[in-house]
Amino acid sequence: MDFTWTEEDAAYRARIRAFLERELPDTWPDIARHGPGSAEQTAFSLDFCPKLAEAGLLIPHWPEEWGGAARPAWEHFILGEELWRAGEPRGAQYMNVNWIGPVLMKYGSPEQKARYLPEMAQGRAIWCQGFSEPNAGSDLASLRTRAVRDGADYVINGQKIWTSYAALAGTCFLLAQTGDAGGGRSGIAIFLVPMDTPGIEVRAIPSLIGHGDIHEVFFTDVRVPASARVGEEGEGWAIISYGLANERVGIPRYEMASHELDRMVAELKARGQFGDSVVRSRAAAAGAACEAARLQVYRVVDGRARNLAPGSDSNLARVAVVTAEHAVTDFGMDFLPDCFSGTDHPSFLSHHERAIVTGIAAGAAEIQLNLVARRHLNLPKGA
Amino acid sequence: MRFEPNDSQATFAGVLGQMLAAPQAGFQAVPDWGRFDYGDRLDRQLAENGFFDAATEDDLGPVAAALMVHNVARAAVCVECAASALVRPFLGREVPRPLAVVVDDAPGAIRYLPQARGLVSITADAVHYADLPEGAVTRVDSLYAYPMGTVDRAALDWQRLDADPARLRALWQVAVAAELAGLLGAGTEAVIEHVSQRHQFGQPLGAFQGIQHRLATAAVEIDGARLQALRAAQSGGIGDAAAALGYAQGIATRIGYDLHQFMGAMGMTLEHPLHRWTYRARLLRADMGGSAASYLAYADARWGAA
Ligand SMILES: Cc1cc2nc3c(=O)[nH]c(=O)nc-3n(C[C@H](O)[C@H](O)[C@H](O)COP(=O)(O)OP(=O)(O)OC[C@H]3O[C@@H](n4cnc5c(N)ncnc54)[C@H](O)[C@@H]3O)c2cc1C
Repeated sequence: MDFTWTEEDAAYRARIRAFLERELPDTWPDIARHGPGSAEQTAFSLDFCPKLAEAGLLIPHWPEEWGGAARPAWEHFILGEELWRAGEPRGAQYMNVNWIGPVLMKYGSPEQKARYLPEMAQGRAIWCQGFSEPNAGSDLASLRTRAVRDGADYVINGQKIWTSYAALAGTCFLLAQTGDAGGGRSGIAIFLVPMDTPGIEVRAIPSLIGHGDIHEVFFTDVRVPASARVGEEGEGWAIISYGLANERVGIPRYEMASHELDRMVAELKARGQFGDSVVRSRAAAAGAACEAARLQVYRVVDGRARNLAPGSDSNLARVAVVTAEHAVTDFGMDFLPDCFSGTDHPSFLSHHERAIVTGIAAGAAEIQLNLVARRHLNLPKGA
Repeated sequence: MRFEPNDSQATFAGVLGQMLAAPQAGFQAVPDWGRFDYGDRLDRQLAENGFFDAATEDDLGPVAAALMVHNVARAAVCVECAASALVRPFLGREVPRPLAVVVDDAPGAIRYLPQARGLVSITADAVHYADLPEGAVTRVDSLYAYPMGTVDRAALDWQRLDADPARLRALWQVAVAAELAGLLGAGTEAVIEHVSQRHQFGQPLGAFQGIQHRLATAAVEIDGARLQALRAAQSGGIGDAAAALGYAQGIATRIGYDLHQFMGAMGMTLEHPLHRWTYRARLLRADMGGSAASYLAYADARWGAA
C-alpha cells in the first residue's frame, strides 16, 4: 500500500497547474461564474480545449489510434482533478473525454468513430446526455421515449428532461425504447442524434444552479438513419453501464470542495477570524470529510488502473463525496456569510450554487445507499 | 498511489486473519459477566511470531502495523496491540510489553494498565517511559470493555526517551484511529448479521430501508476512517494522523447509538458481543480530547496559526 504520489505523477500535476496558470485569463472567475453549461463557459471551452489538445492534455488516456497517448488511468484522473479544481475550463467537453468517446471506441461503428472521435479529440464537440425523462429519473429503465424503425430510418418521439448542455450541444447521446413502450432495460437502444435534426425542441429550465444547465428536450417525429444507432437494439443498457462504469466516480467534487475550503480559510485568516477554536475545528472537520472522500475515490481509480471489475467501491465513494461537499458549503455559509449573500466572491458563489446538486445529478445519493446496502453489506431484500 | 498490499503485507494480513479466525479470538461470555475478555493466547501468538515488530520492517512498515491494530480490534477478545504495534517500535529503546500509553497527563484510569509492564507518557515536549512494578496498578471496574487501571504516576521511575513527541503523538493518533475504525466495523458486522436474521413485520429487519440507509452510511464513514488511518500510518504526516483520528471520533457517536438501536434489547445483554466493540469505541471516541481536539490539531498542521 502506498498513498503517496510518484514523482512522475507529481510532475504531471505541476505541469497541468503551470499550463492553467498560463492559459486561464484573469477574467476566468467571471467566465466560470455560471457553470460549465453557461454560454460563456461553453464558448470558452471551444477555444480552450483545442489548446489542451495541442498540449496533449485533452485525451492523454485515449489510445494512440484516436489521437491519445495511451497514458495511465491515474494521469487522466489527475488531469480531471486539476481541471475541476480550476472550475472546469473544458465545460461540457469533460463528458466526451471521460466516457462518450471511450464508449464510441468500444461500441461505435467505423462510421460513427470517424465522424465523432476526431472532433472530440480536437476539443471542438459539445454533447449532451439524453437519459432522464419526466417519469424516469432514478428508475431510468422505465424511460418511454420511443424510436420506431421505419425502413432505413428510426423515427423518435418522446421527451427528455434535466438534460445538461442541451441548448448548445451539437449531438445528443440518446436513450430510447425500440421495443414495446415500457419495455424496460431490454428494450433500450442508443442513438447519436444531431441536435439540429428537425423535430427537436430545447427549452431551458430556469434553475438554482447556474445558467444553461438543465433543459427539456422534446422529440417530435425526429428522423435519424439506422446508422445513428450504437450497438444493437436492446444493447443500450449494457453499453451505458459500461460507459458509466468507465466514469465510475464522476466529477472529483471533493477536490473542488477541498480547494474552496483552503480559499475560505485564507479569507478568514485575512480577516483575522481564523483564531477561534470553533472555526478551526469545523474547518478541519470539513477538510477530513474531503480527505475521506478523496481516498474512497482514489481506491476506485486504483481498481480501474489495475483493471479490476467495478464493484461497490464507487457507491461508497459517491456517498462520501456528497458529505464532503456539504460540509464545506456549510462551513462557508456559517463563517463567511457575506461571501455568499453578495456578489464580490464569484468563485465561492459558483461553488456554493452548484454544490446542492451533488447528491442528485448523476444518480441520487439514496440510490447509492441502496447499492451499498445490497452490494457492499449484503443486506436482505424486502418481502 | 497503490491500494493493493505488497506480497509481504498480504501474507502478513493472511496469517493474522487465520489467528483472528481461531476460536480463542472469538466471543465467550466471561465468568461473573465481566465486560471484557483479555485474549492471552492471541497476545502470545502475536508476540511469539513477531507481529508487533511489523512497523519497523521495510516491506511491512507502519501501514501493516496499523492494519494489524485495525484487524485485531475486530476480535471479540481484546489484546493490547495499538501501543505495541505503533508506539513501542519507535521509542528508541527496548521496552517490555504489553504497554500502556497516557497522553498529556490525562487523569483517570488507563486502558490495559492491569496487563501492562510499562507506561509511556507523551506530552507536548517530551516522551517518558516508566516500568510498572508488581503491585503498582490498581484495577478499575470500568464500563468500557477494556481492562483498565490506575497507578500512582508520581511514584513511578520515569525516564525521558530520545524520541520526537510530535511523531509519537501522531503514531498514537493513527493507532487509536485504526482501532476505532476496526471496532466500529466489527460492531456493524455483528448488527448486519442480526438484522439479516431477525424477522419482524414479515421480513428481515435489514430489509427496511430506514435501517439499510443508516447502516450503509455508517459503512461509508467507517471505510473513510479506515483509509485515512492507513494513509496516515504510511505518510507519517502529522496532519494526516490528526485528521484520521478526528474523523473516526466524529463518526463514532452516532454509529455507536445506531448499532445498539438496531440490535434492540438483545444489544443490552452481556451474552451478545456487541458491547465489546461499542463500549471500547465509546472510550476511544473521547481519547485525547475527542474529535474537536483532534480536529484542532489537524487545523494547526494543515493551515498553521491564525
Ligand atoms: C444539475 C443536474 C444535471 C443533470 N443532467 C442530466 C443530464 O445531462 N442528462 C440526464 O439524462 N439527466 C440529468 N440529470 C438528471 C439526474 O440524472 C436525475 O435527477 C437523477 O437521476 C434523479 O432522478 P429524479 O430527479 O427524477 O429524481 P427521482 O427519481 O424522482 O427521485 C427523487 C428523490 O427520491 C429519492 N429516491 C428515488 N428513488 C429512491 C429509492 N429507490 N430509494 C430511496 N430513495 C429514492 C432520492 O432522494 C431522489 O433524489 C441532471 C440532474 C441535475 C440535478
